[in-house]
Amino acid sequence: MFVNYEHENNVYNISVERRDDRYFIVYDNNEYTVSATELKPGYLKITLGDRIIKGIVSEGEQSRFLFIDGNVFKVKKIELTGKKKATKKAGDLNSPISGTVVEVKVKKGMTVKKGDVIMVIEAMKMEYLIRAPYPGKIDNICFKEKDQIEIGQQTAEIKKEAAR
Amino acid sequence: MDIIESSIDTKSKEYQQNFTFYEKLVKNLKQHIAAAAQGGGSEKIKLHKSRNKMLARERIETLLDPETPFIEFNSLAAYNMFDNRAPCAGIVTGIGIIHGREVVIVANDATVTGGTYYPITVKKHLRAQEIALKNNLPCIYLVDSGGAFLPMQDEVFPDREHFGRIFYNQAKMSSLKIPQIAVVMGSCTAGGAYVPAMSDETVIVKGTGTIFLGGPPLVKAATGEEVTAEELGGADVHCRESGVSDHFAHDDQEAIRITRNIVENLNRPEKTHLDIKKPEEPAYDIKEIYGIIPKDSRRPFDVKEVIARIVDGSQFHEFKALYGTTLICGFARIMGYPVGILANNGVLFSESALKGSHFIELCCQRKIPLVFLQNITGFMVGRKYEAGGIAKDGAKMVTAVTCAQVPKFTVIIGGSFGAGNYGMCGRAYDPRLLWMWPNARISVMGGQQAANVLLTVKRDQLWRKGKELTKDEEKAITDPILKKYETEGSPYYSTARIWDDGVIDPADTRMVLGLGISASINASIPDWKPGVFRM
Repeated sequence: MFVNYEHENNVYNISVERRDDRYFIVYDNNEYTVSATELKPGYLKITLGDRIIKGIVSEGEQSRFLFIDGNVFKVKKIELTGKKKATKKAGDLNSPISGTVVEVKVKKGMTVKKGDVIMVIEAMKMEYLIRAPYPGKIDNICFKEKDQIEIGQQTAEIKKEAAR
Repeated sequence: MDIIESSIDTKSKEYQQNFTFYEKLVKNLKQHIAAAAQGGGSEKIKLHKSRNKMLARERIETLLDPETPFIEFNSLAAYNMFDNRAPCAGIVTGIGIIHGREVVIVANDATVTGGTYYPITVKKHLRAQEIALKNNLPCIYLVDSGGAFLPMQDEVFPDREHFGRIFYNQAKMSSLKIPQIAVVMGSCTAGGAYVPAMSDETVIVKGTGTIFLGGPPLVKAATGEEVTAEELGGADVHCRESGVSDHFAHDDQEAIRITRNIVENLNRPEKTHLDIKKPEEPAYDIKEIYGIIPKDSRRPFDVKEVIARIVDGSQFHEFKALYGTTLICGFARIMGYPVGILANNGVLFSESALKGSHFIELCCQRKIPLVFLQNITGFMVGRKYEAGGIAKDGAKMVTAVTCAQVPKFTVIIGGSFGAGNYGMCGRAYDPRLLWMWPNARISVMGGQQAANVLLTVKRDQLWRKGKELTKDEEKAITDPILKKYETEGSPYYSTARIWDDGVIDPADTRMVLGLGISASINASIPDWKPGVFRM
C-alpha cells in the first residue's frame, strides 16, 4: 500500500506492507522494519530497528498530531496513490432500483448539505435513501410520493452551490 | 491481498444509535442463552447432584481438552415451546476437541423432565448426528435419559425422522467408520437402551447408569418378578454378565477419563489438505459490526464493511467487482483457512446470480470452503426481469449451491426471504452449519407483502360479487398476517425449531466459522459434479 503524508508542506511517499505483526516501510529507497503496539488508546510503542520510540497520536479534523520526545509533528494523509481506493460511490441522484417513492424529504428551492436525504424509495422490502451527492439548492424534484420510479431514473436536480 | 478500506464513521450519530441498539440485542441473546443453560432449574440441579452425578455441561467440560472451545448447537432449542418446560430441549449438543481432534457430543440433561425426548429434542439429537455424518466426526453420547416423552409419543416415535432414526444413524455412521461411543451416566430405558447397545464402545457408571429394555415396574407388571434397577441393568450386570457395556466406571469422573482414553485410541485419518496460513485478526474491530447493522432492518448496509471485520487482516480478493454488484464475491481467509465468500449487497438480479454461480464453480474446482453471508430480500421481480430470464438465472445459482460439495457455511446476517434463501444456501441446501445473528429475519416473504397479496386476492373475489372491503375489514385481514409474520420471522422462533444451528453474537462469527471449517475438513471434499444448468 502506498501512502502520501504531508508534513510541513513536503510530501512523503511511503510504501507500507504488513507481514504478520510487522510493517515493512519503504521510503526514499530505504527499507525500515517497524512494529508497533498500542499501550492504551493513542499511546504507541514503536520499535524501529533497535530503537524504541514511545509516542502519542492524536487525531485532528484532517491531520494527525504525533507527540514524540517532546516534539510535535503534524502530518496529513493525502489521497492514496498505489492502490485503488475501495471506491464507495458518493451516490448520485439516480434511483438504484425500480420501486415506489414513499417519501420526499425536500422542497424546491431548499438548500441541502452533502449527504442530506432527498427521497426514500421502497422496493423489495427495503428502503433506499437517495442522498445529496454535493451541497446545493434543490432545482427540481422529478417524482412525488407514491410515484413509480424505474432503475436509473433521476430523482431530483440540485444546482451546485457557487464556490465561495 | 488488498485490505478493504472502511468508510464507517464510528463517531456519527447513526453509528452510535445502531451500536447501542445492537448491544441490547446481544445482551438479550446472552441472557436467554444463560437462562436456558440452567436446564431444569436449581431444585432439579440439587437433586441431580445429590445422586453423585455431574451436570450435562460439567460432563462436557471435563471431557474436552482444557482451554479448548465448544461450539454449542441450538442452545435456545424449544425456546417458548412446550410451555417452556424443556429449556435447551433437554439435550446439549455441539462440537468439541478431545486429544486434539474434533468430536460431536450429545449429552442428555436429566434435570429437564428426566432427560426425556420432546419432538425438538429428537430433532436436535438427529441434527447433531447429521453434523457428525457430514463432517466425519466421532460421536460421543453422554446418556442420561428416560427415553421418549410419553405424552407426545405421536410426535417423537413413529415417523422417519423420529426416535428410531437415532439408532439407524448410529449403525449407518459405524458402517462409514465414524466411531460411535456411549457413556451411560443415568437411565437408558427402553428404546434408549439401544444407544449404548448400538455403539462401538460403551462405558457405564456404577450406581447411576442403567440399561434395560423394560424397567422394574414394567417387569413386575409383565412377569411378577421383583428386581431393583441396579440388579436389572446396572454396571455390574452389563460389564460382567451381559456384555452390553465394555468399560466399568465408579463415577462420572472415571467414566469421562475412560472415554478420553477411547478417543485417544481411535486412530483417526488425516484431515483433508487446505492451504492454511497463520490466522490474523481483522484490521478493524469486529464489534464495529454492531454499529454497521442499521437499527431499521429495511435500511440497506454495505456488506463489505461486515466482510472487513470478519476476515483475516481485513484482506479480500474480490471477484467481478464491477459486475452484478448486488452480490459481493471474493476470496479471503478466516482463522487462516481459505474461504470463498458470497455476500448480499442488495436484491439479486440476473447478473448477480450468474456471478454467484461462476464463483461457486471456482471454489468447487479449487476445493475452497464457501461462506454465505445472507441478507437477501429476494430475486428482483417485475416484467422486465422475468422477460430477462431471472427465473433461470436464479435456478443456475440454486443448482450451483446444491451441487457444491465443498464445506458450505451460512450466516444469516439480515433478511432471509423467499428464493433468495435458496440461492444463498439456506437450511434446505445443506450448509455444514447455519448461524443467525440476533437481528436476522426469516420468512417466505415480508409480512407487509404477504398481507397485501392476501388483501388483493380477497378484494378481487368480492369485486366479482360486486362488493368492496371497508377499511376496517381490510385491517381485519392484514393485522393478523402482519402479527404472524412478525412473530414467526424472529430468529428466536427459528432457532427454537432448529431451522438453524444457533443464534450467535456477530463478534463470535469468526471464531465459529473457523472452528466449523476446522471440523469440516475431517471429511474429504468430493470433486465438482454439477447438474444441468438451464442456459
